[in-house]
Amino acid sequence: MSDIKLKGVTIVDTFAEAFPMVGTRVIITAPTAKWADIAARTMTGFATSVIACGAEGGIERTLSRSETYDGRPGVSVLLFTMSQSKLQTQLRDRVGQCVLTCPGTACFAGLPPKKGLKLGHSLRFFGDGWQMSKVLNGRRFWRVPVMDGEFVCEDRTGYTRDAVGGGNLLVVAKSHAGALAACERAVKAMAPMPDIITPFPGGIVRSGSKVGSKYKGQMASTNDAYCPTLKGAVKSELPMNAEAVLEIVIDGLTPEAIAKAMGAGIKAIVDGGTRDGVLRIAAGNYGGNLGPHHFHLKEVIA
Amino acid sequence: MSALTFELKQAPEEPLDLSALIPDRLAGMKAKDIAGLALPTLAGTASVGDYFKVTGKDAASLRFLGTTDRCDRIGAGSSEGEILVDGDAGAYLGAKFKGGTLEVTGNAAAYAGAAMSNGTIDIKGNVGERAGGLTVGEVHGMRGGRLFIGGNAGPYLAERMRRGLITVGGDAGEYAGARVVAGTILFQGKVGRNAGYGLKRGSLIFKKKPKQILPTYADCGVIEFTYLNLLERALKADGIKVRLGREAQRLMGDMAALGKGEMLILR
Repeated sequence: MSDIKLKGVTIVDTFAEAFPMVGTRVIITAPTAKWADIAARTMTGFATSVIACGAEGGIERTLSRSETYDGRPGVSVLLFTMSQSKLQTQLRDRVGQCVLTCPGTACFAGLPPKKGLKLGHSLRFFGDGWQMSKVLNGRRFWRVPVMDGEFVCEDRTGYTRDAVGGGNLLVVAKSHAGALAACERAVKAMAPMPDIITPFPGGIVRSGSKVGSKYKGQMASTNDAYCPTLKGAVKSELPMNAEAVLEIVIDGLTPEAIAKAMGAGIKAIVDGGTRDGVLRIAAGNYGGNLGPHHFHLKEVIA
Repeated sequence: MSALTFELKQAPEEPLDLSALIPDRLAGMKAKDIAGLALPTLAGTASVGDYFKVTGKDAASLRFLGTTDRCDRIGAGSSEGEILVDGDAGAYLGAKFKGGTLEVTGNAAAYAGAAMSNGTIDIKGNVGERAGGLTVGEVHGMRGGRLFIGGNAGPYLAERMRRGLITVGGDAGEYAGARVVAGTILFQGKVGRNAGYGLKRGSLIFKKKPKQILPTYADCGVIEFTYLNLLERALKADGIKVRLGREAQRLMGDMAALGKGEMLILR
């Protein structure tokens, strides 16, 4: 172990262990940026972890009028699951319940739609026979009559099997406020980056987990080695002066995008130096035998 | 490589069938051999060289120069490459067209783009009757691709059209969009009587309100359509700049047929 120090913050010589996921992108547009945002937030609200949400999702970025297919303000959303069939179900249910229902919205493919996931292809049946198909430049769109006019939805969107879930940073600090401020800076730095999302509330998770539990049927339980209240009682990873640990989890369409985001996150944290009382930045892994993707902290800041 | 060019020597008195002169068939042939190909005419059989001066090499890029309305079936059945007609075209221009691009600087006679299934046909001038419509023995008319008409269109435009996009820069004759099964037609000028007669599905979009609307269309009022944004942008990508606006009066019909089609009259 050869940890390094940047501006007084220790970068632990460890790695984030991440897993292959199946990911997709959809573009939601609306008459105003506000309503595109509402639709996207609703669709990705309960999408922090596949453990119980079925999918991990978030807003990738907002899109200006010139960037969307229909010239209205938009938001691009990423959604990840562990298999293509689950992603299909999650996408249909989430777009069907959260975007179709949202005033004024339309939904378009965010990845090349050839042989992709069904989008309007399933949702058109809401039209009860009154839906219309329109093909423009090789892309099929459905116009479904709804009470505020028409819901326009592309037939399909693409997906990738190269997606990665579980890139992460653990920020250990002397105070809760310090850990939170540092993590907020990191999330802000990652927000504009393409192809990634941070699915947890505000991009930050406080209940990092380990695999398994003493209780039968509990798949994941608290990461006791990082709980400051248990420092003296368990084999702790924390120094005595650590009062809070927060984690940033990153899902991305490619491993490269995650590595870049982790690098940017670390930089944003250490740029604050020891002002916030950040002691060290570590990462979560399971010994390296479970996930094929290893993001070494030393490498992502290189 | 230079485009394979057919320059008409003098205006023919009889119709010529030029359907053999398409990129699919001419690939790899020399200009001299092409000039020797048989060319069916009403008077019998002549050779290509009797009517055209053939130059150039690249069969993926054909040029017809100085053609008249006697030059029938230009680009008919073609499935690849680009064809440019600098002049007028006769009947069946690009009929059963399967792919690639076909551009005409002048006018085209009847059946232009009839029963085409893919690719883009762009006619700067006027077209005769039944453009994008049926050819003899076909169940459906145009079933895919794009047909852009810069000028006026004759009667029975897009009869029994099944899929695809047609735009008419000028006026259209009577029975425009008759018995259309599906697809999209944009009329930028006026239309004649009985537009959309027997429409099952599909969209007839009018920049100008038709003088007469069939009584078998049901008025659904004026509504804002996101779809119009999509169409306007798709057309722009094809070099057709037209403002469609956001609102349109929607009429559903033809209720005497299936009635799942629509007229969108732009505001």
